[in-house]
Amino acid sequence: MAAAIEPINTNPTYADIDRGVHRIMAPPGLLFWAWIGFCATLVAIAAALWTRQIYEGLGVTGLRQPTMWAVYITNFVFWVGIAHSGTLISAILYLFRTRWRTAVYRAAETMTLFAVATAGLFPLIHLGRVWNAYWLLPYPNERYLQPNFRSPLVWDAFAVSTYLTISATFLVMGLIPDVANARDVAKGWRKIFYSILSFGWRGTDEQWRHFQMMYLLLAGLATPLVISVHSVVSWDFAMAQLPGWHSTIFAPYFVAGAILSGVAMVLTLLIPMRRLLNLKEFITPWHLDNLAKVILLTSLVVSYSYITETFMTWYGQDQYEVVTFQMRYFGPYGPLFWLMVWGNCVLPLALFSPRIRRSTIPLFIITIFVNIGMWLERFVIFAGSLTTNFIPSQWGFYRPSITEIMITVGSFAWFLMLFSLFTRYLPIISMTELKEGIRWLRQSLRDDYYPGIR
Amino acid sequence: MSAEIELVGTFAEEEECVHAVDALKRNGIAFRVFSPIPSEHLLHAIGRGLSPVRAFVLIGGIAGVLTGIAVTVGTSWEWNLVVGGKPVVSWPPFIIIMFELMILFGGLSAAASFFLFAHLPQLDPIPGYSERFGADRFGIAVACEEADSAKIEALMREAGAEEIAHEDPRARTLEAH
Repeated sequence: MAAAIEPINTNPTYADIDRGVHRIMAPPGLLFWAWIGFCATLVAIAAALWTRQIYEGLGVTGLRQPTMWAVYITNFVFWVGIAHSGTLISAILYLFRTRWRTAVYRAAETMTLFAVATAGLFPLIHLGRVWNAYWLLPYPNERYLQPNFRSPLVWDAFAVSTYLTISATFLVMGLIPDVANARDVAKGWRKIFYSILSFGWRGTDEQWRHFQMMYLLLAGLATPLVISVHSVVSWDFAMAQLPGWHSTIFAPYFVAGAILSGVAMVLTLLIPMRRLLNLKEFITPWHLDNLAKVILLTSLVVSYSYITETFMTWYGQDQYEVVTFQMRYFGPYGPLFWLMVWGNCVLPLALFSPRIRRSTIPLFIITIFVNIGMWLERFVIFAGSLTTNFIPSQWGFYRPSITEIMITVGSFAWFLMLFSLFTRYLPIISMTELKEGIRWLRQSLRDDYYPGIR
Repeated sequence: MSAEIELVGTFAEEEECVHAVDALKRNGIAFRVFSPIPSEHLLHAIGRGLSPVRAFVLIGGIAGVLTGIAVTVGTSWEWNLVVGGKPVVSWPPFIIIMFELMILFGGLSAAASFFLFAHLPQLDPIPGYSERFGADRFGIAVACEEADSAKIEALMREAGAEEIAHEDPRARTLEAH
């Protein structure tokens, strides 16, 4: 017999919000631990392969001249891009006082932190001698050797580590009032854990006064940071003289792509989470609809960038550039390029339909294709451009080895494992902000859509 | 002289709490408010001005830029090698490092100054706090002489307090020990 569908409470109170979020944080069952065990196994396999790579060298990967940057760097840029929507939703939309962000920003912010933490692993994995990674940072040494600050790779080390630190700070600071709320009802080890994480927060007017200023300024600082980080990441490529990389539009093009992939990943995570954890009272079609609109907008910007890039190549008539682009469209990686166009440009056009924006299954499918498309975009740019460089005799074909494939799979498992653990042990929905905007939540539940308009 | 007590008013709605704050302020009574949400209305009514956290963020940001200059220019002088005919001190790429360090230092200063001014970590209980004030109720705690309690209680009831508790701070001190 089908289980009875519980009616949605269209008039939630503060207490209902607390109950709903505390319910998610209840001790998880066996199925959850089976999922964590599955992810941990994949992570362990990836770790074992990385260990083998450290021992035997980069020869175990598919990296060969001229393609020395491929799947690892694709993963790095992909995960940094995924991180971007978190800061967009938590910081930029906070500055604009966007009403729909309250229910989804914590999940996006959590995703940001774990995505940057995953991204940060890839430059290390990609290093042949990982134990020398600290050479990127300036420190006094007897050889008077210092990093070259004119190198985009050094900019990247500073940008990504700053991004990791600031997004972790932003997340931890934002968690304080919610964790204090959880502390007040928790028992046992959780009480101790939440007491430590809440730093003794009691929500006095003085605490809120300083909290709000701190949070506003952190949001203000995180906003230019998010733009700068992906611009810096794009300069890793744009500063090189390689056809297909050396482009002045890379910074805005990469930032738009990062937001596209990030928001798609937010929805890829939120849609199953909404169903599995029964969050329909908090994450309504209104939230899904607005996130889908961001995907649509950024997809159009990315499509425009692809067209501009092609136009500039055609207009410039640089023979190396033209050949690189011909190979990109019709060469060995051509099918990947067209799959990318399908995922990033064509399929998201379906989001012009309000019905699709509000339907979870079509939306979920679109977000999966956007994720695939955005991963392929980076792969096609990095590996595709390197395989067809200035000297045709050097041209090659890159094929990832099992090491790269399993480390990539392991990175997804690592990310999902951390995100899942967070979901069950810390408030994945901000209770304080949801309560603050409770009238909009109620309206979205009543109207089902477009609060204040209908 | 009568004994000092603590009156703790509980409010179901933000608006009622704002009214009570206005009434207490008009009568020159000192108070502490507890809120489950970051309420702009409440902070406006309390009127304690802008937090000094912003000054620390500015100082942190400036310190970040200066550190960026020191790191890039300093190490370029130390490793004094001309690359690609460019000046040893090449400002445009160095600005990126300065910018990132400005954000890093500014952000960390925001967090550190918040802890400093909000007196966190707070290990001792704050007088008047109830678990409900972190969940679904607003609270106002007033430390007063027993003789004044009736007047303050009346002000809070008039504003819409659903409950007013009398607490003896001495009892709590003994309990804490």
